Amino acid sequence: MDLDADLDIRHAPAFAHASEAELARILDFYAVAWEYEPHTFPILFDRSGTVLESFSPDFYLTELDLYLELTTLKQRLVRKKNRKLRRLRELYPDVRIKLLYARDFRALLFKYGKLSLADALTGADGQTTPPRARPPRRIDGAPLVQAPTDPASAGPIGHGQGGRSADDPARRGDHARRRVRRTRAEARARAASRLSTAGEPGGMEVTA
Amino acid sequence: MTRRPDLTADVSEILLSEEQIQAKVLELGRRISDDFAGRELTLVSVLKGSLPFMADLMRSITIPVQIDLMEVSSYGGMATESSGLVRILKDLSSSIDGRHVLIVEDIIDTGLTLNYLVRYLRGKNPASLKICTLLDKPARRLVEIAIDYRGFEIPDQFVIGYGLDYGEAYRNLRFVGVLRPEVYTDPD
Repeated sequence: MDLDADLDIRHAPAFAHASEAELARILDFYAVAWEYEPHTFPILFDRSGTVLESFSPDFYLTELDLYLELTTLKQRLVRKKNRKLRRLRELYPDVRIKLLYARDFRALLFKYGKLSLADALTGADGQTTPPRARPPRRIDGAPLVQAPTDPASAGPIGHGQGGRSADDPARRGDHARRRVRRTRAEARARAASRLSTAGEPGGMEVTA
Repeated sequence: MTRRPDLTADVSEILLSEEQIQAKVLELGRRISDDFAGRELTLVSVLKGSLPFMADLMRSITIPVQIDLMEVSSYGGMATESSGLVRILKDLSSSIDGRHVLIVEDIIDTGLTLNYLVRYLRGKNPASLKICTLLDKPARRLVEIAIDYRGFEIPDQFVIGYGLDYGEAYRNLRFVGVLRPEVYTDPD
């Protein structure tokens, strides 16, 4: 089974994780409009205002004005994501965001009688990321390294698929971790035919 | 899944007794009767889980009401792994144009089905559209929905009984209970 195959090709992005594709499918089923990583929120700056860290929630439910962040990591490994979320809420109190942990995602699949999918879509096994088809787009023209004068009132600065900046040091760290995990995850991905992304340009990459 | 002949043996804890449920249903019926007095009210029940609640609630309402039933497909109910859209398996039997509508649900967790139903029913021009649920499980909410009449807020546990099922069983229990984890694969 190709998890991406059934998604509407008009808006099916290159999901970073197979669990995200499944969540997109659920949202599609219930006619909930969504965008994938449409916005990037800077959450850490140095004294000159350069963005040191940013956060791109996985989904934006456009009609509900709600962001969803999905993590299928083990509960003990989500500390970094929790910190990012706290920081985002501090800087952007008007942004509505929900974090779905692995247990929430498993419960969701359990509810729909698809618990057998959960293991394949959880943690590193589900992390199969085709390279982004195009670089992040911006909607306001502001450089990504520009800190908002008033972060609390600033909106998201990126738009499009994969809004995280390649210059983001945190993202560079992600790349290092990805390289370490690539071989094992790719082997798992190949073994799990349901996770196959064959035919997508450039093969697979693993995200942290 | 191992299912024992005695359904109650699969229950680890009675969350809401029959008496608690009936007391709450009476209370909700009184409130609804007061709020909709003098108005044309249609209760719309969402099959199958809300049947017992609907049957009890409508009899606890003291003003004239019409009832109707709807059933929608579930994401997990798809025959294949292919994607699709939620389908109306059973639509309303009568028009709700200009009528006050109260959706009667057994439980609201993610809110996805209800969000779809609300949008669908709004398109049929009711005079008003409100929501009544016996159980609310906010820990699982994905889509926020304003609930007008809430029976009980329950913890994040898998509950059965009083219409709620697991594998189409346990709906006929007269109470709401927590299903023993041994009966299913624990989601955690």
